[in-house]
Amino acid sequence: MTESLEDYSLSKRILKSRKGGLKKVGVIGCGNMGQEIVRIISQHGIDVVFIDLSEERIQTILEEINTALDQVINKWGLTISEKRAILSRIKGTTDYKDISDCDLVIESINIKQRFTSLEARKEVFKNIEAVVSPTTVIASNNSTLMISDLASVLKHPERVVGVNFITPSATVKVVEVIRGLKTNDATHDYAIRFIKMLDKTPITLHESPGNISTRLIVTLINEACELLMEGVASVQYIDMTMKDGYGLQFGPFELADRVGLDKVLKWMNNLYLEYGTANFKPSPIIKRLVRANYLGKKTGKGFYKYDEGKIISQAITATEFI
Amino acid sequence: MKIIVLNCGSSSIKYQLFDMTKKETMAKGVVDKIGLHGSYVKHERNDGDAITLEGEIVDHQAGIEYVLGILTSKRRGSLNSYDEINAVGHRVVHGGEKFHDSVLITAEVIEKVTECIDLAPLHNPPNLKGILAIQELLPKVPQVAVFDTAFHQTMPKYAYMYAIPYSLYVKYGLRRYGFHGTSHRYVSQRAYEIIKKEPCEVKMVTCHLGNGASIAAINCGHTIDTSMGLTPVEGLIMGTRSGDLDLGILMYIMQKEEIDLHAANTLVNKHSGMLGITGISSDMREIEDAAQNKDERANLGLEMYYYRIRKYIGAYSAAMNGLDVIVFTGGIGENSPKTRAQICNNFGYLGLEFDEEKNNNLHGTEAILTKNSSKIKVIVIPTNEELKIAEDTERIIKGN
Repeated sequence: MTESLEDYSLSKRILKSRKGGLKKVGVIGCGNMGQEIVRIISQHGIDVVFIDLSEERIQTILEEINTALDQVINKWGLTISEKRAILSRIKGTTDYKDISDCDLVIESINIKQRFTSLEARKEVFKNIEAVVSPTTVIASNNSTLMISDLASVLKHPERVVGVNFITPSATVKVVEVIRGLKTNDATHDYAIRFIKMLDKTPITLHESPGNISTRLIVTLINEACELLMEGVASVQYIDMTMKDGYGLQFGPFELADRVGLDKVLKWMNNLYLEYGTANFKPSPIIKRLVRANYLGKKTGKGFYKYDEGKIISQAITATEFI
Repeated sequence: MKIIVLNCGSSSIKYQLFDMTKKETMAKGVVDKIGLHGSYVKHERNDGDAITLEGEIVDHQAGIEYVLGILTSKRRGSLNSYDEINAVGHRVVHGGEKFHDSVLITAEVIEKVTECIDLAPLHNPPNLKGILAIQELLPKVPQVAVFDTAFHQTMPKYAYMYAIPYSLYVKYGLRRYGFHGTSHRYVSQRAYEIIKKEPCEVKMVTCHLGNGASIAAINCGHTIDTSMGLTPVEGLIMGTRSGDLDLGILMYIMQKEEIDLHAANTLVNKHSGMLGITGISSDMREIEDAAQNKDERANLGLEMYYYRIRKYIGAYSAAMNGLDVIVFTGGIGENSPKTRAQICNNFGYLGLEFDEEKNNNLHGTEAILTKNSSKIKVIVIPTNEELKIAEDTERIIKGN
């Protein structure tokens, strides 16, 4: 007779009595933010399986995660054995069936188009629901779309919640947890617990396009562009004023470069569509930079020029690219 | 009297069942990877029967339920029923300034241990989980908390204070607390028995040299100073911890490497120590092997390691105005003759006569390593923190 651990339970109720375990999380879409989320989850001892479009893409993503972890090691934030443990908990797949046993699935797709990714995200939501159990919590990591819109395509919309990680999510302590119209208490509490398991502080809010973070930062970036266009001050001086004057970690231009100007533009387009007010209307400077593929830190040029990730000079003035 | 000793970590539980009439371990084991993929219980009975069982262990309470289930099972157990369990003793890492001795666990004690979470955010929460799980599973069984910090609470204020603004001590309790207290207490008390002397006749330095390492000066049976401080990073060079460090260096590194507090913490706790210096390993055996093969950095690391310990012993003998006994314990202290020799050979000026031959042949057993004529006795004593926790638990239960 083979023995199992369950044979020694005081009662056979141990597993059933304490629901809400979190052992495996699915992440759909593994762009920059998806990768950051995968790393954080695995770093906290939870198995994570990500879905992306092709086997080649999966290999690339795993290599990128490997490189990102090496960079953390080089900056003393991690040990080699910790890295090994983190990587051992990460699996990539193209098959939705591989997320069927996940306790939580986070959609974090990155669509390279100028306007809303709502329809694509709805499709992903339907794909997730088709394979997971009826109680699996489904979350969306996005900052400008409404959770209730995404939930509307599901049979169980009550299990949908928004979790908005703010970049660079490895170091940012807060995560917005967004409650949709139909999100039930169990789902909401589960999301809060999940965020706390990642040693982060959940900020709970009711759904509103842009949440708190994106709605306020977009306005700041747009207004900074206005100042620049009016020739009031240079990129550096505007950033320095906000950084040193108000104790922000980054000035508005450096921040926009870090987020990626294509993403900032998409945020602005979505919020402008939603609210229709001028403070969300994308600044012509941002449109111009995106058209020129000056997308920020990731392309080496944005409001600033970069060398090996470090700012070397301002890249534009009010009227011209430098 | 039958006592279970629990040592609950963030994702593991080490346990031992003691029969205190014979002071014997009846069974012991570990529950590991709690709440994670691949969790298991590894159990061993004193007759050699052993098994590893894998399965889902969702939290500490589930882990403890399985342990109790195994201990009382017909096939693998050592007890007929839970009624045989007289008490449970818990290792609790940080008791702050609130606990000078082990205590019977009450609601008030739980509250105070909770207040100490600030000082040991990684250790006290799982310790509490174990206490609460037993409270729910065995509500009638008394529990005792045995603190790592309690033994060192006898330090005089001039030894435990840091020379920083006094208001920060008042506000946050920033001071030296020291760790490995249960081990230092066990080996020091055992040393008095071995040399057949009363505590007040002996000035002693105990060296707990494991992957984590600390050293304590014990006079009249009380700690008067110890090398670990507010956190376990201070003092001796350890496997991956730096030990004593100029604070200016850390600030310089943070500025130059542009790293945050988390990375700075990882740097001094996980990238430093013997691993950081040698670049080989945090394991002393591997470093000693490399040094044999003339690896320069392995040799440097070992020299630094020995030097730091010698320096502390010298300082503590001055602090006590004398030295009668040096005790070695912990994985390295018990098993590395080279380490013991390199440290002891520098104390000839105090009249220490080391027995090299005896030292070379000793691994992991109790023995005196000095000649009869030696003014200072060097003793190796394998530590047994679990037994000490069980003894404390028995003492406190009987006292109530």
